[in-house]
Amino acid sequence: MIDLWQQQIKAAAAKGEKLAIKGSGSKLFLSPTHEGAALDTRAHSGIVEYDPKELVIVVKCGTALAEVEKAMADAGQMLAFEPPHFGEGATIGGMVATGVSGPRRAYAGAVRDFVLGAKVIDGKGDHLSFGGKVMKNVAGFDVSRLLVGSFGSLGVITEVAFKCLPLPKAEATRVFEMDSATAIEAMNRWYAEADPITATTWVDGELYVRFAGAAPAVNSAVQKRGGEALANDLDWWRDWREQRHAFFANAKELHRMSCKSTAPVLDDMATAIEWGGALRWVEADEANAAKLRYQASRAGGYASVWRGGASTHASAAQSLSEPLKEIHAKLKTSFDPYNVFAPLPLGEVAR
Amino acid sequence: MSLTFDRPSQTTVATTVEALRKDFGDRAVTSHAVREHHSHGEGMRDAGLPDVVVFPETNEEIASIVKLCNQARIPVIAFGTGTSLEGHLKALYGGVCIDLSRMNNILQVNAEDLDCRVQAGVTREQLNAEIRSTGLFFPIDPGANASLGGMSATRASGTNAVRYGTMKENILGLTVVTPDGRIIKTGTRARKSSAGYDLTRLYVGSEGTLGIITEIQLKLYGVPERISAAVCQFDELSNAVNVVITAMQLGIPMARIELLDEVQMDACIKYSKLEGFAAKPTLFMEFHGTDAYVAEQIEQMKSITADYGGSDYRFADKPEDRTKLWKARHDAYWAGMSYKPGNQAFATDSCVPISRLADCIAAAKAEIAKTSLTCMIVGHVGDGNFHVQISFNPNDAREREQAETAAAQIARIAIGMGGTCTGEHGIGIHKLDALKEEHGEAVDVMRTIKKALDPNNIMNPGKTIPMA
Repeated sequence: MIDLWQQQIKAAAAKGEKLAIKGSGSKLFLSPTHEGAALDTRAHSGIVEYDPKELVIVVKCGTALAEVEKAMADAGQMLAFEPPHFGEGATIGGMVATGVSGPRRAYAGAVRDFVLGAKVIDGKGDHLSFGGKVMKNVAGFDVSRLLVGSFGSLGVITEVAFKCLPLPKAEATRVFEMDSATAIEAMNRWYAEADPITATTWVDGELYVRFAGAAPAVNSAVQKRGGEALANDLDWWRDWREQRHAFFANAKELHRMSCKSTAPVLDDMATAIEWGGALRWVEADEANAAKLRYQASRAGGYASVWRGGASTHASAAQSLSEPLKEIHAKLKTSFDPYNVFAPLPLGEVAR
Repeated sequence: MSLTFDRPSQTTVATTVEALRKDFGDRAVTSHAVREHHSHGEGMRDAGLPDVVVFPETNEEIASIVKLCNQARIPVIAFGTGTSLEGHLKALYGGVCIDLSRMNNILQVNAEDLDCRVQAGVTREQLNAEIRSTGLFFPIDPGANASLGGMSATRASGTNAVRYGTMKENILGLTVVTPDGRIIKTGTRARKSSAGYDLTRLYVGSEGTLGIITEIQLKLYGVPERISAAVCQFDELSNAVNVVITAMQLGIPMARIELLDEVQMDACIKYSKLEGFAAKPTLFMEFHGTDAYVAEQIEQMKSITADYGGSDYRFADKPEDRTKLWKARHDAYWAGMSYKPGNQAFATDSCVPISRLADCIAAAKAEIAKTSLTCMIVGHVGDGNFHVQISFNPNDAREREQAETAAAQIARIAIGMGGTCTGEHGIGIHKLDALKEEHGEAVDVMRTIKKALDPNNIMNPGKTIPMA
């Protein structure tokens, strides 16, 4: 398959044509443009190497995320950034190319923090290997992490090595009735006080906190903080991660605001909060969107449309300074001199 | 494609130095002593002197120096505290050394958001001293009291990496002066997003070859409710290694777990005057968390060490005892240097898949056994990363050659086991060949990036990415 793709890329480069790298399409809604002949990553699929004792898994790009998660769960391990699928056939390649992480992100790290190495076919058709499969590697530029969130603009990510973590021994979710300001304060303080927290969400007047780790640690945290137990916690967090919760279903135009974790809530817009306060989902119409973006920049971050509105990418692109835009263009050209792949992603990327 | 660099003419150098003297007065220094001090790190002292050392105080001053150098095609080398190990600071083509030590202000501490912004010259110990009252700390601790700018530029790590990660996981954003003298910011206060490519990750670890890091936004952590340090000794090195592997596989969230072999332990006992320890393979451990969490971790670890014939634990719970213990660990490099009077030493930096760790250490030891040299091993073994410190007589050309050959061979063994030649020290000038061996054609893309972002190749030329 790799040979075939290399030929396809070389041919497209020679003819000045474009290629559209695509997996299952589960995250296409995040991607601005897709032109040219399809290059379906699902043709290159399978787990290349997985010895749980190594705490490393090496996977081909077209492998279903579900398949990888199943193999890891069977061995008592996980991808610790809890990646959302946003669709049944979500692939590993798409997960890395979009760089989207789930609820555990604020506590365990993002996709890029677990990428140990990656192989990529660049726009000249060369198949290259960056990083490796060891926990630490500082040999040369950190290109494998540059690929995370690059939306296919630098090349076809063909294979990725991830660091695996053991599944927690114990897990418990507690629910606390509180307003958003109290919830933001609690999320930040409890985490700073070293509670074994792995997810926080505030929605509809309730704060959901997931504690996980060794049983005694989880038990002592639960006793200390109180709250109500959440019975179907696995399903609840899965639904939240996949954005099947009613909050998402009901939102007409949903914006994603990334900000410092203690930023105050905007009272006049329906909001859900996660990642200890650092990620806000805000329902805003066109009239409110400008205000939201202004508030986000005051809170040291960005807001952009996630679903249902105008392109997320146009607004965020304006936030890049001229020298940064130049650097982006130079990087793009370094990998893809003939512009075979999708254009530069200038949208806010959920890393 | 290859990179090139020609040493600038003496006239060009003289003109540039004159211009810098005019702008910076006595902050532009040309004395031999100062230039010599800025020509090397803590590794091999094969000095290559810069033509001038400048001590800027602002981002704008740095930008002005870089602009001048870019116009004159003169190399620019950033200097933090001079503790790098792979010849990163050697001025291969002369040029301007920018010493960032006067940029040592902590610009913001956002205690509630668990982050801070510092200038590049702030050292890790200075940061921790200044934020102590907030109940927060910054965990990354390479042995030396390095500057945070240097630690960012070399993607440093330390004894806490298993739990807290390395520099790359703890940097939210940067201010960088680009090779054409512009000031850019990457990342934002918001730790979870940025527009476009993740440029922060590109600059972190670029060893001063893509730009000069002048400010860093860092994550901070709450000082845990309980910190407990413990030492356990073993008769066999392989047993100590297996303890670490087992602990990692069980996911015990060790804050620190460090291995010292019997020679290193002997050196540390002598150098740091540690009492009550034998010169045996040893694990230094530290546990962070709530009382309950720490107690649980210790119980788990005790059952693992017992399975592998470990000694009883010696605990260091009092801050001063812990400080002494970790000071001894951080001084391991100096302990090794002084182990044989008159000798010098340098350290390898292999990192391998953890199941190969015991094999790789054994193979490395076998490599040294072929020579007449002494070596000692210390490692952040929880990551699969270990250092073989090779001691040799610097006046004996044969010994030095043996040491260099053995080090190159040890890097090759690690690469052959699916590992890397460098887990944390970086490439500098000493590992350029190993990088090629490890990354093959991918080095061409790195070179293309270097060429694109620094077309005149003025930023620390000849380091990190092989020129051809």
